[in-house]
Amino acid sequence: MRPEHEDVLLDVRDLRVTYAGAVRALDGVSLAVPGGEVVAVLGSNGAGKSTLLRAVSGTLRGQRGAITGGSVALAGRSLLGSDPADIARGGLVQVPEGRRIFTRLTVAENLRAGGLAARDKPARERARGWVHELFPILAERARQPAGLLSGGEQQMLAIGRALMAGPRVLLLDEPSLGLAPRIVEQLGEVIREINREGVTVVLVEQNAAMALAVADRAVVLEVGRVALEGSAAELAENEQVRDRYLGGVTEPATGEADEPAPAPASRAGELTVDRLTVRFGGITALNEVSFSVAPGSMHALIGPNGAGKSTCLNVLSGVYAASTGSVRYGDAELTRLRPHRVAALGVARTFQNISLSPGATVLDNLLVARHRLMREGFVSGGLRLPRARRERARHVERVGEIATLVQLQDVLSTPVGTLSYGMRKRVELARALCAEPGLLLLDEPVAGMTQDESAGMARAIAAARAELGISALVVEHDMGFVMGIADHVTVLDFGRRIADGTPAEVQRHPEVLRAYLGSAA
Amino acid sequence: MTEFVTLAVGGLFLGAIYALVALGFVTIFRATGVINFAQGSVLLLGAYVIGRLDDSIGFWPAVLVGILAAALASLLVDVLLIRRVRDADLGTLAILTLGVDILLLTELTRQIGTDVINIGAPWGDDVVEVAGIRVAESRVLAGAVALVLVAALAAAVKLTDWGVAMRSAAEDGETASLMGIRLNRVAAGAWALAGALAAIGGLFLTSFPAAGVTGGIGLVALAAIPAVVLGGFDSPGGAVIGGLVIGVVSVLCSGYQDELSFLGRGTGAVAPYVVMLLVLLVRPSGLFGTRELTRV
Repeated sequence: MRPEHEDVLLDVRDLRVTYAGAVRALDGVSLAVPGGEVVAVLGSNGAGKSTLLRAVSGTLRGQRGAITGGSVALAGRSLLGSDPADIARGGLVQVPEGRRIFTRLTVAENLRAGGLAARDKPARERARGWVHELFPILAERARQPAGLLSGGEQQMLAIGRALMAGPRVLLLDEPSLGLAPRIVEQLGEVIREINREGVTVVLVEQNAAMALAVADRAVVLEVGRVALEGSAAELAENEQVRDRYLGGVTEPATGEADEPAPAPASRAGELTVDRLTVRFGGITALNEVSFSVAPGSMHALIGPNGAGKSTCLNVLSGVYAASTGSVRYGDAELTRLRPHRVAALGVARTFQNISLSPGATVLDNLLVARHRLMREGFVSGGLRLPRARRERARHVERVGEIATLVQLQDVLSTPVGTLSYGMRKRVELARALCAEPGLLLLDEPVAGMTQDESAGMARAIAAARAELGISALVVEHDMGFVMGIADHVTVLDFGRRIADGTPAEVQRHPEVLRAYLGSAA
Repeated sequence: MTEFVTLAVGGLFLGAIYALVALGFVTIFRATGVINFAQGSVLLLGAYVIGRLDDSIGFWPAVLVGILAAALASLLVDVLLIRRVRDADLGTLAILTLGVDILLLTELTRQIGTDVINIGAPWGDDVVEVAGIRVAESRVLAGAVALVLVAALAAAVKLTDWGVAMRSAAEDGETASLMGIRLNRVAAGAWALAGALAAIGGLFLTSFPAAGVTGGIGLVALAAIPAVVLGGFDSPGGAVIGGLVIGVVSVLCSGYQDELSFLGRGTGAVAPYVVMLLVLLVRPSGLFGTRELTRV
């Protein structure tokens, strides 16, 4: 089906890019795109994918970025230093991330704007015919303002607009971002169709499953370098790619989650939530929810926004009071205890929004959590009595061990405020661990993280659990993350428990599919 | 009553001239995001060239040269200055145009000195009278020309490739350039057009009932700025309405100067700014401007 050229149409060699003269975003990236193929560029946030596209399409300057080395050539002609408009007219057109259609223009005018770069009038008319054939909706809605289109339709318009220029190479920047799974599937089909007409496609995606299904070959970028490359089929089979980018959601049977937990002799008690109900005024936030967390296990609490996840966590840590029902941890009934008494039982939690002292070092932030374990008082500490110093040394040593567990050992003397977001979230985790809990409550530990950071967090949690023998209850939106680390999953929707079981069971549960994917699924 | 109607109609015609100048202003703002304070001195340049040349080469050729000169001057501001610092913030760019305005205005005022250069328009000082309302012929012509130009420009923006390119660039410059739209050309076109519109405005502002080209005309042209602010910076329709409102208000205030004497003298010159402030108090984006939205 596909044309079998082996000649390289877009040739990126040893490309180096720095932002604002200081931040190195690309460090010697090479990418050879043969004419007629679909090449996927994968990688997490900050890997340099968008920078690569900007360097190719000539739009680095607006971001204060500069190419400091290497070359970019289209069909043998260098693109370095060209104006973006000239690059587009030369046959390389980019569909920008976030679609960026002209919302105040009509659909037809958007297409017309794309067609301004076409060679001549007949080429423009041919392109319009093809675009209308690919996306009939754009013909139907020609006269409507483009801002009124749905997200999926806007993505189609953005692609159609780019095709109006009659490109030889089409660059797509994260086309599946924010679109429903059904639309993403259609999008994949459209990309194949475009490619069948002889257009070479460079597809930059975080959705590796979609990208690898469509592409002939792929490269994986990591911190500004090419980490892996090969045919799409090879990469789809690659262990590393499967773990990092395909996740548990798209490939539920990766096995990891089904392995028995290593569970060393656990110091945790069992947490039992029994018919817990919480009402705020007339609103029932939790309705007779029951589940239990076995000692040493990793339990996830998931559900759409407003399902009652955070409410549940807040009852467990003593912040909210239960209306009816009970929560037992070991021998203690938690529903009647104040937060600091709950903490004293060995239940520690992290927060959705980071609450650390930014000016203090990581070590000091962590030592604060040892407070409940320290015996020496204010006076002996202040006078630096030998036994106070010995105690401090003992705690510093233990904090060091825990920091090593979550891979923070190298930043112990760094002020927290200077760390990246992902690192700070890990400091939060370490601080909770420093209280030597039996049960750890994690409130959205990977919210807002890049895939890299989220993978780092997953490793840290797994290590902490294996080494310290604690149980953990994690509340999280990110399905892939949860499916990768949990032994057991409870799903809430509108305050009710709709499913409970292993990740694999829960993923197949019809109620869960309905709650997450809507009735279409 | 006749006096009031006469003043109001005269104001509308004066407003039509402001509308032309304001439209140039809006065109530049939409295409490049720059607030061009040099519009007034470019207007004066156009009028000055016409006034200086009409004796030697005739009126119509002088008009043509004047329009071209103003368009070229405006284009040069973009090509030589603005384009090189396009990524600078809008405040910097606006101050840059203010500097250009001062330079150009100072030089032209020096050239003109205390002269009043007759523009030599063939319509002279004829006055049209309809139902007791007397209006200078030149103002009627100005209104007609403004009407035609505004309509033509609106149609061009709506219907031509140039218009589509300009509106795309106005909405999202980077994406427009990714689609092959040459931003530099769109910008240059807008600046040249604005210069030409300013020169046409200058031609009518210096015709009867005005005495001729004086150094002060550049300042009179500044009334186009309240017109633009009033209408909303990015709205061509707003610029036209704003121009008309400012024209009517300032003519009425000048006409009823004696009745308004408790406010002091020269209310006609101040009125446009007072109206502008009053409108901004109620509608901070002007009458038709796009509201600035920030996502939190």
